[in-house]
Amino acid sequence: MLIGIDVGGTTTDAVVVDGSKVVKTAYVPTDHDNLLKCLLGALDELVQGIDTRKIERVVLSTTLITNMIAEGKTDPVALVLIPGPGTNPRDYALGESIILDGAIDFRGKEIDRLKESQIKEAASRIKSQGLSRVAVVGKFCQRNHAHELKVGELMAAALPGSKIELGHRVSGQLNFPRRAATTMLTAATIDSYEIFAKDVAAALRERKINSPVYILKADGGTLPLDKSVQMPVETIFSGPAASIMGVMALTDPGQSSVVVDIGGTTTDLALILSGRPLLSAKGARVGSLLTHVRAFAVKSIAIGGDSAVAVCSRNNADEGRGCGSLAVGPHRDGPPLCMGGNGPTPTDALRVLGLSQIGDAAKAEKAMQIVADGLGCTAREAAQKVVDGVVDKIVFEINEMFREWEQEPAYRIWEIMLRESLSAQSVVGVGGGAPPLVPLVAARLKAKAIVPQYASVANAIGAAVARPTLTLNLHIDTESKEYAVAEDGLTGRVTNQKMTAEDAERLARRLLAERAALLGISEYAAEAEVTYSEVFNMIRGWSTVGRLMDVRMEIPAGLLPSWGRC
Amino acid sequence: MSSQGKSGKTGLIFFPAFDWAISPTHPEREERLLYTRDQIFEEGLMDLPQIEEYKPRLAEKKDVARAHFCVPDVEAQVTQAHLIAAGSTLTLADALEKGEIRNGFALVRPPGHHSMRVVHGNRGFCNINNMAIMVEYLRSKYGHKRIAVIDTDVHHGDGTQEIFWHDPDVLCLSFHQDGHTLYPGSGFVNEMGGPQALARTLNVPLPPGTTDEGIHYVLDNLILPVLDDFKPDLILNSAGQDNHYTDPLANMRFSANGYARLNEKLAPDLCVLEGGYAVETALPYVNTGIIQAMAGLDYTHVKEPDYVPGRFEQSPAMVREIEHTVSQVQKIWEQRDELVAQALDGAGDFYRRKRRIFYDTDMINENQEEVVRLCPDCAGYMTITTSAQRGYGILNSAFCVSIPRGACSSCRDDAKEEYAEHLDDRRIGYVLMQDKDRDKFKFYNNMTRTEKGY
Repeated sequence: MLIGIDVGGTTTDAVVVDGSKVVKTAYVPTDHDNLLKCLLGALDELVQGIDTRKIERVVLSTTLITNMIAEGKTDPVALVLIPGPGTNPRDYALGESIILDGAIDFRGKEIDRLKESQIKEAASRIKSQGLSRVAVVGKFCQRNHAHELKVGELMAAALPGSKIELGHRVSGQLNFPRRAATTMLTAATIDSYEIFAKDVAAALRERKINSPVYILKADGGTLPLDKSVQMPVETIFSGPAASIMGVMALTDPGQSSVVVDIGGTTTDLALILSGRPLLSAKGARVGSLLTHVRAFAVKSIAIGGDSAVAVCSRNNADEGRGCGSLAVGPHRDGPPLCMGGNGPTPTDALRVLGLSQIGDAAKAEKAMQIVADGLGCTAREAAQKVVDGVVDKIVFEINEMFREWEQEPAYRIWEIMLRESLSAQSVVGVGGGAPPLVPLVAARLKAKAIVPQYASVANAIGAAVARPTLTLNLHIDTESKEYAVAEDGLTGRVTNQKMTAEDAERLARRLLAERAALLGISEYAAEAEVTYSEVFNMIRGWSTVGRLMDVRMEIPAGLLPSWGRC
Repeated sequence: MSSQGKSGKTGLIFFPAFDWAISPTHPEREERLLYTRDQIFEEGLMDLPQIEEYKPRLAEKKDVARAHFCVPDVEAQVTQAHLIAAGSTLTLADALEKGEIRNGFALVRPPGHHSMRVVHGNRGFCNINNMAIMVEYLRSKYGHKRIAVIDTDVHHGDGTQEIFWHDPDVLCLSFHQDGHTLYPGSGFVNEMGGPQALARTLNVPLPPGTTDEGIHYVLDNLILPVLDDFKPDLILNSAGQDNHYTDPLANMRFSANGYARLNEKLAPDLCVLEGGYAVETALPYVNTGIIQAMAGLDYTHVKEPDYVPGRFEQSPAMVREIEHTVSQVQKIWEQRDELVAQALDGAGDFYRRKRRIFYDTDMINENQEEVVRLCPDCAGYMTITTSAQRGYGILNSAFCVSIPRGACSSCRDDAKEEYAEHLDDRRIGYVLMQDKDRDKFKFYNNMTRTEKGY
């Protein structure tokens, strides 16, 4: 039996899955001030009458990190940058930082030395500010760790008891400002996350649940809870990830679908292209910061069942003459009128049109009459216009997502020649507002509408049956005889200078297996596939002096084999 | 009007063609923009709010035919990589015209500025001229009349010069290491354009070793004042990066900061990458600097690892030589209208010239005879008889006819007659028609007697 728990924005959903059957579901309202309590509340309700010894796996998705960042409750961090030549670091919106001399170039060569006295000065400044968490990030330090290590060492000596995060250990991908932001966020959340992880582990032990516990990441993969404490930021946006994995679990494989999660005030959109959820191109945006966190591309639009519907008169003279224009959202004035609220909402419109049975019919009629008065039409016509407005907005944003995906930059001839144009085969609805609206959206996109049977617990199911994901970016330089793994900054020596692309892929596979073992997900290492491989000859004068090779291997987001699809 | 003072983002297309090379060890190979990629990606430039990255597209065959006579046809002369590089410039041109961006940089390869009007093969690493294709596109699609192309590559932009040789509305100004010491051996002050367009081609040959100071002298005292006079609708930069002091194929001493400052002052609407082969020591820094300058970002932090300000100094003799060249070109520019009047006075109805063109990359020798009608009512139609030899064999021969935009009916009729007369003439392989006025392009094969068009 598998357990999935999704701590969502308003409710915490939990589900027990056995093979491909949903055995039991549970809901509790989410308490943002005590996530652990509602998580355990849902769990306790769920496992009543269930033999906990039969539980094979527990997977959680949590809003802990998302909330900490959104509410500004992260720990303060001193950001220390070694930017070298290039962009003025003040042009990055990273907030306050300390800038150090020293530089590494794209080949990993030191081009400017560190100044020890400057580092010590920086450390005493950090001390005087009373900060005990430091993020040290250098440009191209993923190609040569020496500077970050040295600065880290000196900081640790000068600031006893402080926590120091180094950029190359957080991400080795190109993009210094994103690496700086990701490292900073890691330092700012790692302590709180660790406490949460320990509490969860202890609470499960108390309940005699001894199965492995995993956390869901933003890319739809699971990671053992005890390993996740090294990379707390990876767990951000695990809610949307859970809902996309849930849709994967509840629909046919290999499809191109749009996932439409319609809530009270927001609608989340995501794409599954030929069975693979679309990842955001370079990494997630977290608040105002761009990061390296691999995350599904999710677009949130401010429209939902509870969005306030208003009629704006075109000018003052027109007021009350029934020729205004309609606005739906972006804010919420309270619940729909048909459910005891004060103002008209899309939920009222759906009720009037008979598309849903939620709420009181007479009150819904009254809500739409308010709109109708402003527009100069009947209540039914007004309801139709409100629903059309919502559908228009959602369809527009879906088309934009496809367009943006098609317009993503490409750097090779074959990528440009092969980028086909895709359209949605199905529109899959999850969330409370989905059932009445999804068929309308699907009709406009000429796609099939799907509202799965377990749509309301899709998130929890997604968490329950998601498998681990793993990515490994390997960079090899046969001239300097070194290789580096982007994800954890692991480096090593290359002995074979005549290395071929096949040799590089073999090395990548070995390193991926080692990394999988380290993360406790060895059994999935064989699923890894090469998703990208390139070789550049380095020429000096007219002869080849070495090769630069890059290999990316991935275990993509997917479902446990035990989950037969419904 | 230049991009200075306009608001909005800087459009960027980065197309390194990581899967295309002339040959494995050729300077124009896959690796060329690899370290540039590393640098600009690591800088996170594409994430900055001042910059918008665009996806390249393929140019259409018609876009190529608007600027070139490809013999025997466009398909035979281009690969997908060429169409993508050229298409990238068109994507940015569209974005600029739609007002999505205030300026743009097509950081693409393969380059193009040595490709001339007739194309039999690759010349100076170039098959088709990305810049010329963009200029023709901007004019035919958006109706721009006056365009200035400033060629800042270390090599003379001979292809672009040749394509606009007779066009008084396209100012081609190239500064470069002088032709005595560097490929393609041309670009002297006396190359000034055809009789109707004299002084709308300007060349500034510079001595080897010219530094930031020398190039900025040319910019401040010649290029910027000439642009003020010419008042182009658009300023375009053929942005080669081989004036850099580490370039292996040339001998100048320009720095990354010098390049950035040049682009800040020139404020081009669109930049297109040309050459530049110091793939590790120059390109990552120069490209970063140019992007920053175009986007209005601080570029003073860009510095080559071994550069110290004041590292290079020009000798007094070099300074005098540069000043002398600039004053010669200034004089040509001042006399532009008289030069045209003198040349046309008593020139007759047709202007003719014979040329030999060598394609260094493909080892092709081409012989051309060009005839332009000096028409009082329009730019005049043009014919080119061309034959290309490789080794001892004839490669291809063609008769090409070009009808200008705004052609008068007499030029149009005569041009059509010339085309018809050469059809099925077995001494000539192909007959080509470029009708820029109606945007129609025809290719006739005299051996198979078949015609196709774009």
